[in-house]
Amino acid sequence: MPHVTFIHGISNKPPADDLLRIWRNALANAAEPLPLGDLGVTSSMVYWADLLYEKPEDDSSAYEGVLENTAEAIDGAGDAAPPVPRTPQEAAFLKGLRAQLTAFSDEDLATTALPPVPAEPQGALERVPLPWFIKKRFLNAHLRDVHHYLFDVEFATPGKPPVRIQRTVRQRFVEALGVINVSSPHIVVSHSMGTVIAYDCLKRVHDCPPVDGLVTLGSPLGLDEIQDQLQPGWTRNDGFPHEKVRGDWANLFDRLDPVCGFDPKLANDYRKGGAAAIEDVAVQNDGTWRHSATKYLRQPDFCLALRRLLRV
Amino acid sequence: MSDDSTLDRLRQRVDDILRKLQGLDAQSDLVDAKRLVEELRNAREYSRMGRLAEAVSRHDPKDPTNRRLYAQYLIDTGKATAAIDLLKPLAQRLPKNHAEFAEATGLLGRAYKQIFFDTGDKTSRGAREALKQAIVAYRKPFEENPANTWHGVNLVALLARARRLGLRVAPDLHPKEVAAKVVVALEATPENERDEWFLPTLAEASLGLDDWDAVEQNIKAYAANRDTKAFLIASTLRQFREVWDIENVDDRGRGIVTALRARLLELPGGGLDLSPAELRQARAAPLPAEGQLEAVLGVQGPKTYRWWKTGVERAVAVASIRQQLGGRIGTGFLVRAGDFGFDPKDELLVLTNFHVVNEHGAGNGVAPAAAEIVFEAVTPNQPYLVEKILWTSPVERHDASLLRLKSPVTGIEPLPLAKALPVLEDNPPQVYIIGHPGGRDLAFSFQDNTLLDHEGPPAGKPQIPGVCRVHYRAPTEGGSSGSPVFNSDLWQVVALHHKGGKLGMPKLNGKEGSYGANEGISIHSIKEAISG
Repeated sequence: MPHVTFIHGISNKPPADDLLRIWRNALANAAEPLPLGDLGVTSSMVYWADLLYEKPEDDSSAYEGVLENTAEAIDGAGDAAPPVPRTPQEAAFLKGLRAQLTAFSDEDLATTALPPVPAEPQGALERVPLPWFIKKRFLNAHLRDVHHYLFDVEFATPGKPPVRIQRTVRQRFVEALGVINVSSPHIVVSHSMGTVIAYDCLKRVHDCPPVDGLVTLGSPLGLDEIQDQLQPGWTRNDGFPHEKVRGDWANLFDRLDPVCGFDPKLANDYRKGGAAAIEDVAVQNDGTWRHSATKYLRQPDFCLALRRLLRV
Repeated sequence: MSDDSTLDRLRQRVDDILRKLQGLDAQSDLVDAKRLVEELRNAREYSRMGRLAEAVSRHDPKDPTNRRLYAQYLIDTGKATAAIDLLKPLAQRLPKNHAEFAEATGLLGRAYKQIFFDTGDKTSRGAREALKQAIVAYRKPFEENPANTWHGVNLVALLARARRLGLRVAPDLHPKEVAAKVVVALEATPENERDEWFLPTLAEASLGLDDWDAVEQNIKAYAANRDTKAFLIASTLRQFREVWDIENVDDRGRGIVTALRARLLELPGGGLDLSPAELRQARAAPLPAEGQLEAVLGVQGPKTYRWWKTGVERAVAVASIRQQLGGRIGTGFLVRAGDFGFDPKDELLVLTNFHVVNEHGAGNGVAPAAAEIVFEAVTPNQPYLVEKILWTSPVERHDASLLRLKSPVTGIEPLPLAKALPVLEDNPPQVYIIGHPGGRDLAFSFQDNTLLDHEGPPAGKPQIPGVCRVHYRAPTEGGSSGSPVFNSDLWQVVALHHKGGKLGMPKLNGKEGSYGANEGISIHSIKEAISG
């Protein structure tokens, strides 16, 4: 029977079961409802927040809360400490990724007088009309979580033994795709950093099982800094993971989603044999925080794309 | 009580204690038994509640709480006059400062109120007398202590209704003044002492003040809450419709009723019965005014409404199956011939149980020539006759008969069939049955059930070759043979309901033990059996 494997993005999250339920409910409550259970579609979540955060968010209602007045509502839960680079390469990566988000320095952001929104924003996060004390939490989580995955940092949450982040998350993703007792179609739906993990596994992990389709939501895969870290494997002309993705790849983005930055489209960067093969779909999420997973999941264009891939 | 295993355990405990109460050492079990009566009330398990309250009364006939609960059982099972005979002496013998005094007099008011509701002609002498007695019963405890706000709010509602009917009851009381006192008393309640009835009572008192904005605002405060309880919505709906009759006041009243019905059906345990006339009204009702759905149900209001309207439209294709010149024997529903591989593809057929209609009228069923089919919501006076049974499968297999009608059905859309059974997940999905349950007046029952198990993919192990069974359970028992079972979000038919509602149903898929469950046959397995 058809199956959807979800993978989440950065920052702390509610417990895995709750997160899966919240995402499924978002689909069922969309304008073009896609109630997976009613349609006989099974689903699972590749959960990796526990590797980077001590315990899950216990207030599920705060996750992506509609008032957007807390860090939990804008993918900034969990109080991640800013990452410390170990090598010049890591330092350059963090500097570049940070510059995509803001030109303000940490000192600027630490001042009590909050930097105003500039007339010509240099970073994608500067376009988001939210106070910096909230955005700073997102910034730290984003830099830390992306860095720890891409550079396979050994990391331990309190009370647990240290693990290599990339290795462990890859293992979970590959196992999740392998153990599912599904007939086709099997679709991966990824959000945020989850899109990077899904791509990394499907393109660069030899043992990763194949799937029938891929959906990326609010993806940073268009950023040069990310693409640089996906080599060997990624090339502009043959970046499409056709080795493991048998069907289509749909990419949905909101132009004001700070994680996609100024490079939200992927078709041009992940070609298949030199030809564009990804369907890039621009959507407009509501509210101030455009990166929210559930906002993407409720988009009619997403539901239609997933329905098509699942053939339901 | 939506947890089904909890309900099973409660029923088992009751059966155990009923046995013990017949024994020599009954006194030691009496405390537990008394507590159980209240639990049964909360779980709306009225049959056992009555039996246990009776058993407790035989051991301790003076216990006021048990007597009051016994009276509540009587009211909730349609025996209001017997409840009055029980409550009157109870209220007379209790001192006024006894906690049960206000409860007993309030319940006396409820019994009279129920008689008023149940009377068709609200202007008849019997109805007017019941209304008068209800007002007297609610008035006393509220005037003695305004903290008795549920007495107060009922007093407001009944006074308002009496005034609309032109009855001179308690002429010294003005509904708005009483409503204002109720609001003051409610607002004086410290926040940490406000129970779950606080907001529904405040909403109703606001209605007494004609403050519709406050009514909607207070309803929204609990109805839009994700974790709200079905009984709170059901109570508001009943009170607003039956006592206040707000559907006949204005469009805003109708909009509130529509919104509350939609929300009630959406909640676990929130079944709904509608008469054919009410269903026709619900279909014809205009879309609530712009913004009202959000005002009452929050941002999800418009979606909840659309979902509810879809369910109402689906009910139109549900028919009662009757024996000609006899009574109703089951339910059936309209399907498209092409969905089952028959030609002409757009012909409309009726699917029901074998045990309802079969070639020789075996069991309790009828033969095709003796059956008639009535779509109660659309053409209640137009019975359709059966030309022949196109396909049938006996009770021990699919328990299904697919009927061709003598004259074509027009103006009714056939029910859409689901391509798959709902996925069984940790948080069990809901399924809905629309049917005409036995033992009650003709009504469309929208019954919310928890899907317990099925023999479909990926983990199902069908025990009867070619037959895929589905188990589900409603918080209240009952059901109707031949009803469609729908998935919860899309209102597509997933199964044909054929039996259940009893304890002792063996579990599916080789699992040990039994439970209380309804059983249906997957529509997909019926399609496959027909196509061979």
